[in-house]
Amino acid sequence: MNTPLAWYFAGPLIGLMVPILLILREKQLGISSSYRFVGATLLPKLKYFNYSKNQDRWQIHFALGLVLSGFAAFQLFGAFDEVVIQPILDYEKAAVTIYDVKNGLQFFLGGILVGFGARYANGCTAGHCIMGVSQFATSSIIATISFFVGGLIGSLFINPILF
Amino acid sequence: MFKFIITLFLGFAFGSILLASQAFSWFRIQEMFHFQSFHMFGLLFSAIGTSALFLFIIKKKKIKSIHGNQIEVKPKKLELKANIIGGLIFGLGWSISGACSAPVYILVGLHWQIGLILLAGAFTGTVIYGAFINKLPR
Repeated sequence: MNTPLAWYFAGPLIGLMVPILLILREKQLGISSSYRFVGATLLPKLKYFNYSKNQDRWQIHFALGLVLSGFAAFQLFGAFDEVVIQPILDYEKAAVTIYDVKNGLQFFLGGILVGFGARYANGCTAGHCIMGVSQFATSSIIATISFFVGGLIGSLFINPILF
Repeated sequence: MFKFIITLFLGFAFGSILLASQAFSWFRIQEMFHFQSFHMFGLLFSAIGTSALFLFIIKKKKIKSIHGNQIEVKPKKLELKANIIGGLIFGLGWSISGACSAPVYILVGLHWQIGLILLAGAFTGTVIYGAFINKLPR
């Protein structure tokens, strides 16, 4: 497990999720609407959360499957720390400890930006980059380019300060 | 119940692919933004290509879902400012946390402390968005 599953196997498998979800569940691939669903369950009074949330319920089930996959991987291979990491650039020292709770604040900040940005842009990597771009949707192409510009700024300039 | 199990299984399968290809990893994300490996780009491009091919076939052959309905795919609405500003903010979060929406959930199972912190952050971000929804440019 030290080397990742090659992209030319894994990429098409990821892409296959789109037709499979459409045929079996009549759903367009996406995950970040699940945040809104949970918000609607926890804070139904906020106007944004007062919506017909049933349309997003499937994403909670999908998310549960994602959590289980992580849990199964943990049971089979441990915390993955030694697995994931071929040292990358300046982060060699951080390699084993990046998912340590001492980095909790950075991850919390990142999480806020992910949640806010995904809802504001109306989609995330799954919904825009994969589902949207494969439809050649203008909104998704613009969002994907913006994801990468934001990511470049964060990874190249902000992370060296944060970590 | 059937739908629940199918969806759960597909989530599990999707997560397993992201785990096996290490796409969930903070380090793979940094590596991608530093252009140090083709791995993540290969993943994304081949996923998009495969998806586009099947969407084309579904449209061309008028393939129906297992429930017998015509499959229709809707593009997301174009909201230029929201797509750009929201996208930039999402990208920042993606690079800092090394995780987008699916890996957030995977990490809950894999490294539950950091996973739950990330998830709490994502919910907080969604609540902030909900609170300011009318003030944001579209």
